[in-house]
Amino acid sequence: MSEVLSLQEKLVKEFIRMEAMLNGQAQAPVHAIRKQAMTRFTELGFPTIRHEEWKYTNIMPVVKNDYAFNVHNTSTVTKSDIEPFLLPDVEANILVFVNGSFAADLSTIISPKGVEVMPLAEAFKKKATVVEKHFAKYALWQNDAMLALNTAFALNGAYIEIASGAVVEEPFHLLFVNDSRAQSTFAPVRNLVLVGANAEATIVESAHTLASGENYGFTNIVSEVVLADNAHLNHYKVQQDVEQSYFVGALHAEQAGTSVLNTVVVTLSGGIVRNNLSAVLAGKGADTHFYGLYLVNGKTLVDNHTLADHAVAHCTSNELYKGIMDDRSTGVFNGKIMVRPDAQKTLAYQSNRNILMSPNATVNTKPQLEIFADDVKCSHGCTSGQLDDESVFYLRARGLDKEQARALLLYAFAGEITEKIQLEPLRERLESIIAERLHQELVS
Amino acid sequence: MLTITNLQASVEGKEILKGINLTIGKGEIHAIMGPNGSGKSTLASVLAGREDYEITGGTVTFQDEDLLEMSPEDRAREGVFLAFQYPVEIPGVSNTNFLKAAVNEVRKHRGLAPMEPKAFLNMMREKMALVEMDQAMVSRSVNEGFSGGEKKRNEIFQMAMLEPKLSILDETDSGLDIDALKIVANGVNKLRSKETSTIVITHYQRLLDYIVPDFVHVLYKGRIVKSGGKDLALELEAKGYDWIKELAQEEVTA
Ligand SMILES: Nc1ncnc2c1ncn2[C@@H]1O[C@H](COP(=O)(O)OP(=O)(O)OP(=O)(O)O)[C@@H](O)[C@H]1O
Ligand SMILES: [Mg+2]
Repeated sequence: MSEVLSLQEKLVKEFIRMEAMLNGQAQAPVHAIRKQAMTRFTELGFPTIRHEEWKYTNIMPVVKNDYAFNVHNTSTVTKSDIEPFLLPDVEANILVFVNGSFAADLSTIISPKGVEVMPLAEAFKKKATVVEKHFAKYALWQNDAMLALNTAFALNGAYIEIASGAVVEEPFHLLFVNDSRAQSTFAPVRNLVLVGANAEATIVESAHTLASGENYGFTNIVSEVVLADNAHLNHYKVQQDVEQSYFVGALHAEQAGTSVLNTVVVTLSGGIVRNNLSAVLAGKGADTHFYGLYLVNGKTLVDNHTLADHAVAHCTSNELYKGIMDDRSTGVFNGKIMVRPDAQKTLAYQSNRNILMSPNATVNTKPQLEIFADDVKCSHGCTSGQLDDESVFYLRARGLDKEQARALLLYAFAGEITEKIQLEPLRERLESIIAERLHQELVS
Repeated sequence: MLTITNLQASVEGKEILKGINLTIGKGEIHAIMGPNGSGKSTLASVLAGREDYEITGGTVTFQDEDLLEMSPEDRAREGVFLAFQYPVEIPGVSNTNFLKAAVNEVRKHRGLAPMEPKAFLNMMREKMALVEMDQAMVSRSVNEGFSGGEKKRNEIFQMAMLEPKLSILDETDSGLDIDALKIVANGVNKLRSKETSTIVITHYQRLLDYIVPDFVHVLYKGRIVKSGGKDLALELEAKGYDWIKELAQEEVTA
């Protein structure tokens, strides 16, 4: 008799199987963390909508599906499969992962001066001391089931270390492919990014599911990012995936003094998309920017949870998330600003603005301000509504038809986020996709 | 050019225009004055096609066509231009791109090809000079962060670009300083021809010193209660609206 195992039970079995294959690595300190994380995951279980942080995002469809794990064969994906996902005309370090495993023959590492870039699996051995110092120190899994799960299965992903003072012009494109064409696949990925003092770098992260039939890809990507004094990092996440994709991802950063983190998350399509983002402003003068755009339709669910954690004085956080929701799509925005007692002179701004294009689209917004210092400037605001009739009329009164007027206004609305992307080829590409999408949706 | 017959309009069940009759011939300038809330902007909006108003009666004929049947964009393409009393700010949409789209829509409607970029730029430059707008303002987002006066000047700049047949200027003078008033009036005068007509809505006689009307009408409580020549504006300036209100009262009770 074959028993029907839950996904959680299967993951427990899979963990034991995975451990057996670790050989010498099973004694490494990071594996002790994996084990603790696995135990914690089994205690917590997959989050349900009873969990405050998952109130509006029901991942039961994700959990109920049957997945293959750790499919290490990367050869199922070819260059032509990934061609559409590459940034045209950009000289970049391209790291491709297939179902969580590094695909060397699909990757291009131009490794400029001052950069160490390699698969995390390799870094666990070659850079053990550095990895041990940072691994699981920022992505706090103890009370977060999905982080615990990712930590337990943290075997591979990208390791990027930028030396102090290195200004890296070439962006790093981390391209994650979930090949679920043969069967639904669960692909956990773990990245570690260390940006040295006064160094500058740009990372583009994109996840893509190859699916067919009833198969669904479940991708779980967690990045830990450390910015040393005065480091600058641009982090762009592009989400344009198929309907049969589930994505749960997180970026957890820690920033030293006067460092600058600029994150932009653009979600254009997918099944269920959950993004967690946090930055701990741990050094005086650190500056963080969270920008997000979700332009979705169909039944796509996009959930962004963010946390700007002001731990010390004189730091700035600036956050703007905007949504254009059509059809039966659902948006969730939960933005938390934490100002700890020492964080005097904090400047923290947050805004979430949504345009609902259809009566069946919904958005749930929750700002959370926890302020324990008195000399601070914090503001937050959120709006959800239709396009402004006055503006539409103004444009029509100048000869633009209704659809043109609406497309122009929506494009401008989205433009406030895309303009934050400093990597020009990426910005232009997204802008043209958005323009085309708006045109199609409004004319049809 | 334009014939308004017994036009009635209401908003949210409240009757605002209660039977307007007005005929505007080619090449004419008509001034519409009247106390606050009398329905001047409502009339302008109804002519431009704002959908918030319900037309409850009457007709409007523009160049032998039923204006009320047309969409706002078709009215604009046919040559109706409204300079808004309160122009809206449109962040993220540059004046230049917006005008390019607008000009080309109007051209398409007239069976013309889109303008060449160079010709468009030349036209922009020429019209900017006309209303003394500088490049910086034109490059910015539509009206965003513009001062009250700058917004009004931008309306006239748009009018210059679109070359309408019927222009409706809704209190374009309010918010303008004395120099800007002269510039704007001068622009309007240069743009007029025997083929174009203008409706000037204003509270002040001063504008009419520069844009000299052929007719002056007083709108009160949704009706035109008095019409005359340009001297009527002077009379209103001197006497205020009380006598007009009494006049209207007599008419209603009579
Ligand atoms: N959308 C609306 N909803 C409710 N009332 C409206 C609306 N638009 C106009 N009104 C009312 O209609 C009346 C006429 O307004 P209108 O703006 O046409 O006056 P006006 O003559 O242009 O005044 P002003 O000289 O102050 O510009 C006013 O009482 C106004 O409050
Ligand atoms: Mg008015």
